[in-house]
Amino acid sequence: MNFFLAQIATAASGSRSSGFTFDPANTLGWAVPLLVITPLTAFVIALTSVRTRRSSASLAMFGAVVTMLLTLLVGWGLAKTKIPFLHAYQYINMPVAFSGPTAFQSFAVDIVLRVDHITVAALVAVELCVIGVLGWNQVMGRSEPGPARFHALISLLLFACVGALVSWDLAELLAFWGLAGAATYLLLAHRWGSDEAAIRARVALALPFVTDLSLLCGVAWLYARYGVQNLTSLVPVLHTNPGWTVRSLVVAAILLFIGIGGRLALWPLHSWLTQTSVTAPPAALALAQAVWSVIAIVALYRLMPIIVASNPQTVRAFLYACGVAAVVAPLLALVGNEPRRIVTLLGAGATAVGAAIVIHGFEVPNATFAVAGIACVLAIAPARAAGVLAASAIAAAMRTDSLTEMGEAWTRMRVSAQALLLAGLVLALSSASALAFAFSTRSRVGLVLGEALLLVSIGALRVFMGVAFGPLRRRRAFEPDRVGEAPRASRGWPYLLIAGGALVWVVMLVPRLGLDFLDGSKHPAPAVGAYVLWVAVALIGFAAAAFAYVRNKDGALKASALAAAWLGRIGGAGSRSFARFIVAPATEIAIRLGDRWIPAGDAAVGSAVETTGRFAVAGTRLPVLPVVVAIAVVLTLVVGLAAPGVFK
Amino acid sequence: MMWLGIAGLAVPTPTPAAVPGANIFSSPLLLSVIVWVPVIMAIAIATMPNPRGRFDMLMKQIAFFTNVGLVFVLWIAYNQFESFLSTPQFAESQPWLAAIGASYHLGVDGPGMTMLLLSGLIGIVSVLASLGIRERVRSYFCLLLLVQASINGAIVARDMFVLILFWSAAAIPIALLILGWGGPRRNAATWRLVGYWGLGTGALVVATLALYAATGGTSFDMDVLLKVGSVSPRVQVIVGLLVIVAAATRLPLFPFHGWARDLYAEAPIGVTVVVAGTATRLGAYLLLRALVAAEPAAAQLLAPLLAALAALTVGYAALAALRMADIRHSAAHLAMIPGGITVLGLAALSPLSIAGAVFSLFTGGLAAALIVGVCATLAERAQSRSLLVLGGLAPRMPILTWLLIIGGLAVLGVPLLATFPAELMTFFGSFKTQPIGAFAVAAGLAVAAVALAMLLRRVLFGVPNPDAPGVSDASLGESWYLGLLAGALLWVGVFPAGPKLPGTDAPIFDPGLMKTMSAGISELAAPYDLPTPTPASGQ
Repeated sequence: MNFFLAQIATAASGSRSSGFTFDPANTLGWAVPLLVITPLTAFVIALTSVRTRRSSASLAMFGAVVTMLLTLLVGWGLAKTKIPFLHAYQYINMPVAFSGPTAFQSFAVDIVLRVDHITVAALVAVELCVIGVLGWNQVMGRSEPGPARFHALISLLLFACVGALVSWDLAELLAFWGLAGAATYLLLAHRWGSDEAAIRARVALALPFVTDLSLLCGVAWLYARYGVQNLTSLVPVLHTNPGWTVRSLVVAAILLFIGIGGRLALWPLHSWLTQTSVTAPPAALALAQAVWSVIAIVALYRLMPIIVASNPQTVRAFLYACGVAAVVAPLLALVGNEPRRIVTLLGAGATAVGAAIVIHGFEVPNATFAVAGIACVLAIAPARAAGVLAASAIAAAMRTDSLTEMGEAWTRMRVSAQALLLAGLVLALSSASALAFAFSTRSRVGLVLGEALLLVSIGALRVFMGVAFGPLRRRRAFEPDRVGEAPRASRGWPYLLIAGGALVWVVMLVPRLGLDFLDGSKHPAPAVGAYVLWVAVALIGFAAAAFAYVRNKDGALKASALAAAWLGRIGGAGSRSFARFIVAPATEIAIRLGDRWIPAGDAAVGSAVETTGRFAVAGTRLPVLPVVVAIAVVLTLVVGLAAPGVFK
Repeated sequence: MMWLGIAGLAVPTPTPAAVPGANIFSSPLLLSVIVWVPVIMAIAIATMPNPRGRFDMLMKQIAFFTNVGLVFVLWIAYNQFESFLSTPQFAESQPWLAAIGASYHLGVDGPGMTMLLLSGLIGIVSVLASLGIRERVRSYFCLLLLVQASINGAIVARDMFVLILFWSAAAIPIALLILGWGGPRRNAATWRLVGYWGLGTGALVVATLALYAATGGTSFDMDVLLKVGSVSPRVQVIVGLLVIVAAATRLPLFPFHGWARDLYAEAPIGVTVVVAGTATRLGAYLLLRALVAAEPAAAQLLAPLLAALAALTVGYAALAALRMADIRHSAAHLAMIPGGITVLGLAALSPLSIAGAVFSLFTGGLAAALIVGVCATLAERAQSRSLLVLGGLAPRMPILTWLLIIGGLAVLGVPLLATFPAELMTFFGSFKTQPIGAFAVAAGLAVAAVALAMLLRRVLFGVPNPDAPGVSDASLGESWYLGLLAGALLWVGVFPAGPKLPGTDAPIFDPGLMKTMSAGISELAAPYDLPTPTPASGQ
């Protein structure tokens, strides 16, 4: 509004304009709010009036493209300045007390729109993922039920993602985070009519909800101690607020980390993605992985000052946790033969590497490491989505979700197979590049993350080798000769995503272009030797996988299947024990309370009341004098027995 | 009669300047109108001729427009409500039973106004939900209006004698409605309701008499009985325990919840909506007025007990909802969760948590009403309540699907819905003083999420059951009443402080529920203001 008024005033002043000038920085005032509102508008329109598949897809795509264009405009406007754009709108502001600490006398939640370079980069990554997935789904998702609802939910998810990325108020972040979580669950559980999909989607609701609650508890814990939610106001007072303690900060840090770790899908909080990897629509799975890794890593970056303020041991513990997750996730990817699950776990492992680098960057502290970690995840996110889409196309064409039944994709579906390979390469090489900035191969954590990188590389090539080579066997109701490439209109979208990821990876290598833009500071390039070393680790992983699968693909797959069976048995035993010894007794107690004990208690009370009433009615019919005498005798005996010394 | 009443509002009547709020609105009878107009219209419905049910529709229209008129009056009052005044507004006071000190004293502050708005909205919704009643329409709507009147009376009462009368009066028409129009197990549901609510009423009566005796036995007025510091801490604790029993039977809270499942399962939909939406909120409202605001010593001593009850309620409700085989039973248990969160806020005894609890009175009522209403409607439309029979209904019932999803997400407190800011404030305020209770309630919410996922999976997302009866989506009337609830949840969730003109603080047409409810909260929470911490070095 102010911008337009200024333009009008300039025109009215009669000053002669000296030609068309356009300063993108002047557009920020309206472009940023519009950036947030656009996907919400698309959602509302989709919900209220759009019914057909094509129109809903087009509307969602239009909303995503407009959002992307606005993001680029905002990025252009911010390109020359290091100062982030900041504007706040009041959501809640109410007085609650007249005395006590000033911070607690009122409660305010603002919708703070803060956009800096990292936000712009993250927004572009998210929007690229949404656009790529939507484009792919327009062709490959034709058989999915409920297209209008699906595309409406994607617009809602985009709105929530944008809101989460521009948030600078913790309560606001929680709101958008929760909304994105709800939209994600509805997308992952979208295959209505499939019992298995619905059962597995239960995990997609419960586990992230628990971690989101942890985030809520962490934010509430911080508020309870500091009375502040705006990060600009909170961070400076972490150690100066009266009554602060290290313990309270440690508790807050743990709660926040669990909340973020759940959405980063850090092992063991990853099952909400892996459990739905086969049953969820591929577009939903791709989006869930990609966008949440971006949102969560940006949130981690912003909350790290709070975590660092707790104590160094906490930060180190989180670093180790990320290291363990980075190793275990790709290790689990070697177990089992479902390609989408493998890609999901590889992506989770690579993202854990990025998270570890971000944490290490704050631990040291070294800003280069931190932004390198962010850049790593920004490169990985589109690659993850591309990998899932490519694997889904291959799985759909071969009508199987097992690598043991797949093969010959290099000859029959070369485009999709190449996309899968390239996605894996981007995953591995992005991690290697980020590690080159941050870790020495001689450090302990560096060793662990190197192992993670090795495993990611092995897994990336493993899934490619599994689908691309080896015989595609005939099965019941399946003719290999009918397997052909995905429809032409869908082939380019995974490549678009891979290109986006690769671009970020390449730009990351030239700090002047990449890392310097992210936080406005100058960053040194990684040492060539370090870079070569880390890339070599990735190449060794590729070579190892290639060797194993060229030598004996069936043997390797059989070993994976065997390991998966064992793991399934252990996991099944664990979940059966959990269900038998914890869930079942708890629910049984609740049911017995509601169905038996309480009704029995009610019935007993009712009977007692009825009996008392009968006695009362019967008592009115009895003769008075004998009753009084009898009562007097009984009372005398009772008092005599009860009171000491009466009968002595 | 109603229009006469409304016309009477336009006539300025001189009132004593000493009565706060009397000169703000043009009539001092506003609250009496809200309480007694439904009674008058109930009498009108009861006495008007209806040969062979010819005027059944007219009776429904009378009930509907009575509630519309009440909402109109409430809307004016809401817009004229002064949020900076901490004293009750629109007050009315007339001596009644001078011998015992009972007076006809009405008044409403921020939390009371919030409850009245909820009651008005739920009133309309309950009538719309009851449009399908075909038998003994006269009796049904007469009783429904009496329920409305008794709830409004309990909200605005400023005299404990009057409060008890309205509090206990609510049970009778509800019991008759269940007995007359309920499901197969209506007898059990009714007697359970009467038993539990009778116990609660008894506890409230004893508590009131104890306060009456402790304050000299001169007046039942709340300004006397519920004045902070008017009774000794020992009496406060006894009264506090009794008030907790009274509130727990109404909300309900574990273990006084035995009536809830059967009532929500067997009562007609309109009755379940009004019970879940407003009648149960009276329990938390009583806790706020009679314990938190009036007995600070008892409140602080009993806070851990309240927090434990809140956590047990949420946990039990979630666990029970996991194993239910009846959709209305599941909804009944899920509807208990917002009450648990409200009580957590009251138990935490911090200014923010109390504000969150007041806000959650409104939002929790809407969420509970929506979840029980939509599940009951779905069961009717699908001609079955069994979760073993229902399955894969989403493609065939898109409207009810979305409404059930919104209802479930509202119970969980998902953003964009009104329950989110309420839960935010409750949790933020609770972590300081009741962190264990807050964690436990959060854990219960996580279990509730699983229960909701299972419910949605079974009913909406699962494989359609070929042996199930035919289903049909919600009718226009059903969509309207459920949509009103969902719309209110969305509206307050997006604009808790009311929409404002861009760039200004001027409200557009809604002054903001949060602004309204804040009137009096600061005074209410004054005994619990947080101490200023001393500067301490970190450990």
